[in-house]
Amino acid sequence: MANPDLRRTDRLNGWLFVMPALVLLGLFMVFPILWSLWMSFQTGRGMTLKFGGFANISRLTQDPVFLHALSNTAVFLVVQVPLMIILALIFANVLNNPNLKFRGFFRTAIFLPCVTSLVAYSVLFKSMFANDGVINAFLEGVHLISEPIPWLASPFWAKVVIIMAITWRWTGYNMIFYLAALQNIDRSIYEAARIDGVPAWARFVYLTIPLLKPVILFTTIISTIGTLQLFDEVMNITASGGVGGTPSDSTLTLSLYIYNLSFRFMPNFGYAATVSYVIVVLVGILSFVQFWVARDRK
Amino acid sequence: MSTAMQGLRLTFGAALTTTGLLFGTTAMAVDVTVWCWDPNFNGATMKEAAERYKASHPDFNLIVVDFAKADLETKLQAQLASGTTDGLPDIVLVEDYGAQKYLQSFPGAFQPLSDKVDYSAFAPYKVELATLEGQTYSMPFDSGVTGLFYRTDYLAEAGYDEAALQDITWDQLIEIGKAVEAKTGHKLLSLDLNDAGAIRILMQSAGSWYFTPDGEVNIAGNPVFKAALEAYAKVLQSDIYKPVSGWTEYTGAFTSGEVAATFTGVWMTGTIKANPDQSGKWGVAPIPKLDGVEGATHASNLGGSSWYVLSSAPQKDVAVDFLAEVWGKDVDFYQKILVNQGALGSLTAARDGEAFKASDDFFSGQPVWQNFTTWLGEIPGVNYGLFTNEADAAVAAQLPALKDGGSVDDAIAAIDAQVRQQVQ
Repeated sequence: MANPDLRRTDRLNGWLFVMPALVLLGLFMVFPILWSLWMSFQTGRGMTLKFGGFANISRLTQDPVFLHALSNTAVFLVVQVPLMIILALIFANVLNNPNLKFRGFFRTAIFLPCVTSLVAYSVLFKSMFANDGVINAFLEGVHLISEPIPWLASPFWAKVVIIMAITWRWTGYNMIFYLAALQNIDRSIYEAARIDGVPAWARFVYLTIPLLKPVILFTTIISTIGTLQLFDEVMNITASGGVGGTPSDSTLTLSLYIYNLSFRFMPNFGYAATVSYVIVVLVGILSFVQFWVARDRK
Repeated sequence: MSTAMQGLRLTFGAALTTTGLLFGTTAMAVDVTVWCWDPNFNGATMKEAAERYKASHPDFNLIVVDFAKADLETKLQAQLASGTTDGLPDIVLVEDYGAQKYLQSFPGAFQPLSDKVDYSAFAPYKVELATLEGQTYSMPFDSGVTGLFYRTDYLAEAGYDEAALQDITWDQLIEIGKAVEAKTGHKLLSLDLNDAGAIRILMQSAGSWYFTPDGEVNIAGNPVFKAALEAYAKVLQSDIYKPVSGWTEYTGAFTSGEVAATFTGVWMTGTIKANPDQSGKWGVAPIPKLDGVEGATHASNLGGSSWYVLSSAPQKDVAVDFLAEVWGKDVDFYQKILVNQGALGSLTAARDGEAFKASDDFFSGQPVWQNFTTWLGEIPGVNYGLFTNEADAAVAAQLPALKDGGSVDDAIAAIDAQVRQQVQ
């Protein structure tokens, strides 16, 4: 690390320059992370906390609500992330075609959802998917259904609405990464493939996807993290009377459970911190698995 | 320019402060902030109280900040937990179910009022709810005594008059609902499957609760809880209600005339009366009774809340004095908020007032206030404990299964397991 050519004062100067950033990082990132780790070993109500050892961790294993939230989060993850990644890849590929008219318009239109406010679009989705909302009115209008679908009242459909909502909001965001990466792929590779008579679908599967692998890995990991932290949508779209995760906790996510434990139920910050560390551990494991699956096999 | 202005403002402000210190009562406005929900009800009563206090304290200025109830509760809890008191109000409304939770979780956050308020003048159960270790913290406000609010015109069309709605059971209510829909085309009720309030009403009407008076979980093996779930499951399985999601949709269904009735706390009066064109078309009956349960009554409670002063509040002395002066003794004030908002206060002396004896034209000339006061005296007392939200969440999670005909025993087992796990 230390460069022997540098004089002592130069090295000191370097440290002084990065010091402000390091201090801020330490104060606002490292310290809260360690503090929440310490909190996760505390039990008690509200501000009256005491050290409880592994009590919170053993509580986790017996908590039906936690397990329910975990399985809901897993469903969102397993269904939504692949769906969104595939959609984003397809959109990116289509919109990368130089012969397509209004490319700029379509790109903007698909990217636009991710700059809207989470709460604003959630409120809009809630009204659209209401029993007498525009979605049901449309489906009934074209005679696809005869009875309104209970989007927000049925545990199954509520999950579907949440998956549609986050897919709508984040597909464009991922697409932009793929579009940028596609610009960097040498056109001559495709040209050579075309001359060799490789059909379009095979060019996509055997050229585009392998060449985009690092970007796909990156977007998969950030999407996984985002879905594990899912909160705004289930707090706003599938909420009733200020209580999120309805109906019958079918859209309760880990983040929402942390919120309930801290701010809605008898405040239990220790246990809430423990649940938040579950998300940290899950993100770690899943990222490791994704790196491992996408590793270069030599 | 701007610096000069600032300097001028500073001098001016300092001068004002000095005079304020010297003379005590100058024209300096004293801003007292209140957090509450339901502007038609809690907000309106607070504004009325402020008008009265202003008559003797012209510099008093009340700022009512209106939230949705769940938002207020989470905001209050988050802020108390953060330890910073900036931005907290002087007075906050707390629902009775949550009072002990706040008092026990955040010791020192609320101002004890025992030496400022004569609590013997209030309904004892309200005082007890806000008492912890010998200190009482609340200015008791309204009762949530329940009633069945109904549209007299729809019910009459279906063949039910006032007398036919006295002393009915929940099964009979379902029959009435069927008749109403057959004759008028209107559903009887609007129900939210995510709201466990109905179970609370049913349980307390027979003197039981999620918890025993000692705070132990009282769900599995509690015959009243089982009867309440069974009765409500039958209602959910019947076709007499419009399923709604959220408070606005729920109240909108009966204030718009779409459904014929609702069973809820007396505080709903403010919302119902906010539609003067429906005057004379409403009536109030006692809620149905749980069939075959020992100790079952037609009286119960839903919600009800009280005012609390934050001990960190900059104007807490003014706030306490305001509450003690108006809410603590002004009998005439309680007559006014009763008629206008349906706020059935807990000051017992107020119940001898004129308004409590009068009949109400909005409610087809029925002596509704007298009825509510009678029912109030009949509510079986229960201890709400600390974990009503947790138990509510566990119950709400099972309601869709019950609606679809699921086993009540399975639901009870699941609720019991979840609540036991949550109350540690």
